[in-house]
Amino acid sequence: MIAAFRDGLGRVRRATWLVVGLWLSTLLMAVPPALVLHGMIADHLGASLMADAAARGVNFDWWNEFLVQAAGVGQTFVPAIIGFAAVLDNASRIADQRALVPALAGIVGGQILLSVFLAGGVLDRLARDRRVGAHAFFSACGLWFFRFLRLGVVAGAIYWALFAWLHPWLFDTLYARWTHDTTVERTAFLVRLGLYAAFIAILCTVNLVFDYAKIRAVVEDRRSMIGALRASVRFVVRHPAKALALYLLNMLAYLLVVGVYALAAPGASAPLAAFAVGQVYIVLRVAVRLQFAASQTALFQGKLAHAGYVARPVPTWPDSPAAEAVAR
Amino acid sequence: MRLRRQVWLIAAAMMFLAGARPPAPLRAQEPGLASRTASYRIDATLDAAARTITGTAVITWRNPGAMPAYSLRLHLYWNAWRNTDSTWLSQRKLGGITGSMLDRREEDFGWQQLTELALANPDGSPGLDLMPTFRYIQPDDQNAADRSLAAADLPMAVAPGQSVQLRVAWKAQVPRTFSRTGAIGNYFFIAHWFPKLGVFEADGWNARQFFANTEFYADFGSYDVQLRVPRGWVVGATGREVSRTDTNGDLTIHRYAQDDVHDFAWTTSPDYEEYTERFEHERLPAVTMRLLLQPEHRGQQDRHFAATAAALKYYGEWYGPYPYPQITIVDPAWQSGAGGMEYPTLFTAGSRWLAPRLSNQPESVTVHEAGHQFWYGMVANNEVTSAWMDEGFNTFSEERVQSVAFQPNYHVERFFGGFIPWQLRDIKRSRATDGNGLNGYRPSAERDVPATPSYRYWPGTHADITYSKTALWLHTLERHLGWDRLQPVMAAYFERFRFTHPVPDDFFAIVNEKSGQDLTWFFDQVHRSSNEFDYAAERLESVPVATRGFVESAPGAPLAFEAQENATLFRTTVVVRRLGEATFPVDVLVTFENGDQVRETWDGQARWQPFLYEKPAKAVSVQVDPDRVLLLDVHYTNNSITMKPQAERAADTWTLQWIVWLQDLMMNYAFFV
Repeated sequence: MIAAFRDGLGRVRRATWLVVGLWLSTLLMAVPPALVLHGMIADHLGASLMADAAARGVNFDWWNEFLVQAAGVGQTFVPAIIGFAAVLDNASRIADQRALVPALAGIVGGQILLSVFLAGGVLDRLARDRRVGAHAFFSACGLWFFRFLRLGVVAGAIYWALFAWLHPWLFDTLYARWTHDTTVERTAFLVRLGLYAAFIAILCTVNLVFDYAKIRAVVEDRRSMIGALRASVRFVVRHPAKALALYLLNMLAYLLVVGVYALAAPGASAPLAAFAVGQVYIVLRVAVRLQFAASQTALFQGKLAHAGYVARPVPTWPDSPAAEAVAR
Repeated sequence: MRLRRQVWLIAAAMMFLAGARPPAPLRAQEPGLASRTASYRIDATLDAAARTITGTAVITWRNPGAMPAYSLRLHLYWNAWRNTDSTWLSQRKLGGITGSMLDRREEDFGWQQLTELALANPDGSPGLDLMPTFRYIQPDDQNAADRSLAAADLPMAVAPGQSVQLRVAWKAQVPRTFSRTGAIGNYFFIAHWFPKLGVFEADGWNARQFFANTEFYADFGSYDVQLRVPRGWVVGATGREVSRTDTNGDLTIHRYAQDDVHDFAWTTSPDYEEYTERFEHERLPAVTMRLLLQPEHRGQQDRHFAATAAALKYYGEWYGPYPYPQITIVDPAWQSGAGGMEYPTLFTAGSRWLAPRLSNQPESVTVHEAGHQFWYGMVANNEVTSAWMDEGFNTFSEERVQSVAFQPNYHVERFFGGFIPWQLRDIKRSRATDGNGLNGYRPSAERDVPATPSYRYWPGTHADITYSKTALWLHTLERHLGWDRLQPVMAAYFERFRFTHPVPDDFFAIVNEKSGQDLTWFFDQVHRSSNEFDYAAERLESVPVATRGFVESAPGAPLAFEAQENATLFRTTVVVRRLGEATFPVDVLVTFENGDQVRETWDGQARWQPFLYEKPAKAVSVQVDPDRVLLLDVHYTNNSITMKPQAERAADTWTLQWIVWLQDLMMNYAFFV
């Protein structure tokens, strides 16, 4: 498991352009709504002297005035976007199932679709652990897109069930029942923390299974996504400790990145530094996400039964990455 | 039948007059701070397991009015939570509240039933039974399901200045906390819990049903209260504890007494930790501050004491001294819904388990509720009809204290169910806007006319008018007159009306009297109207002075066409506009490139006003109300124009920050792909 983690680190390190590309994709996806927000802010400030203070740092008075009339994307321009509060806000949004404003739901949906599209290419690149070139990368993306879209329908249904049924049951019904007569906030928080842990554990288990489903689909060139999913479940069931420990290790890496950002995130008085540090944080988040995929791929490839028993094939695309893996 | 009836009436009259003699004093009656119109001697028992209270009371009431009283009015506030058809809960529904408050379990509702109402004999024993005429009344909304107010006829009128003694007994179901009152777990906070008389005024009884967004109105008096609670439980109550006796059972009787207050509330729980500190000041009376703290807030006691002491100090210095020897601070249990509420000499001040220092919790609520000892406790306006007089005055005062005693005060965001706070050091809360509640007031500015009786305010936005608008206009008045002129006005108002029931016109009159200005126009705007204030700078332009057209070179000379331009002299045109319906005089400040500034005073009456200048420099900016005197202006961003706008730079700055937030958000969702 440690070996897979280290192998994953190496694969991500060797796939620098993948990190850069994915980071750029998040940035580019953010630009259109950012331009809309930019326009809203600029229009509201107009030629007002209030802009001077807003340009230097927080002009909370103006900010509140802006928010009262803001619509769409403008409604998301809240104090919680500043520095590390942004990370807490976003994590809390998922943990507490706070709805996205409709204007951003489309952007987030687009990002998810883009991620589905890129997933095949990313996994193919990480599984091969060698340069494949843009043409091969995007060909793999295209090759796997519709398969992953089918898998995504299944994943989406399960995630939907988790958020539409399990989450309300845990946090509206169970939490309310268990804390109905609680008079100590700390106790209630511990209850909530336990429920967060339970929900996140279930969420991560589902995520783990779908991760390996995608990995098996790509590495083994599977066409049936139901088959990939069943194969993934088999893999996780056969190697539960390693799969879980690796996932937790990757999660620790994510928490480390978040922790460092909590310490390093500048405030609103240094906007350029805040943006720069924020981008470094996003790059690291991308790297950690790739580390999940890379290390899990390494773990799976290391468990291939016939690895090392056949002659190394010539690595030509679009052969399955499994062919390359067995060659090592 | 007629003879029997006459006999009955004679007997009743004799008993009534006997009851009208001064009651046997509980203690030696000393000259009071207040006119002791309604005094209560109460004996109550809490059954903590069953969550019931049974009590008896002897009420001594003196008719303070100018006309005889033929009947009584009794508040039975807890019936507001008897069922969802009560006026209180109906109003909550109207205001948009749904869920837990309406879907309560059987044991979470509360009620109050009178079991005895009689004239009292001199020894306190029951006299003539008044229950046959006891009835619930609904004078305000005719909601027959509401039982928060009752009436009973008296056998003979109580003449002005005459007293009567009543005996009441009741039982009550303690609700899960509604409106800061009730129980949760082992925490009991018991307020407006006993049958309480209305206020008899010049034109009769002033007693209203219990509404969701308004509070109370009662006469001053003396309270002597015996509370039987489980042994070992800590008790906090209005006044001071005069005795504590264990019964043969497992109860302890706590006896509390206080003169010159208009209500009595108490709390008990085995969980409280008790702390005491003393407030001392060279010019103000010393006060013992007693804090009943939740164990999970251990470590925050210094913050509660500091905030209470700040309120006693600054309110004392600005308005007048706190005259009682003690004050009790109650840190309510989590989920009790009792975050902040005031009662005479006792108040709740809620905190959080994680409460970052240099933020306003628990300081804000503590200063606010301690401050209510002045605006509510002593200056006891009718909170049902003029809630703004205490809540608004107190918000104004509290924020003033915060601005001098607790700075900086950083904005806090809460995440993960509200449990995890994150302090944003980039955002310092300002008294003028954040503290006074401009943000809440802005969208609600036109929802209600403040002069409307408070219980008729729209339930969803009443706080924005009651608290925020009042604080904003008082602060506006402070900036308009100067604190050195407003403070004596407030002090005079406090001095003149403490231990009485002032009405709005009392305050307006004293402002006019003490400030030396007739500010009726201002009160017309802010109190008797719901109009919005919104001034704006509409145009700013500077161009070289140029003349084009026909001019006479000399008197009588023929007209000649000329086109002249003076490149060293600039004509600056400024147009300011009143967008809102409300008016207020504002300054207009025009700044020129060479540093010159011209300050105009505009009466703010017209819809628009031009200002023209010819100067050797171009204008760089214009500001309407540059000193931000008019804090009620709902759109201050449109008050200025600059020739060097920074909007694009500001938008760049903030969009970059927002992008990081959005990227992180997208990464979170994409993680599951």
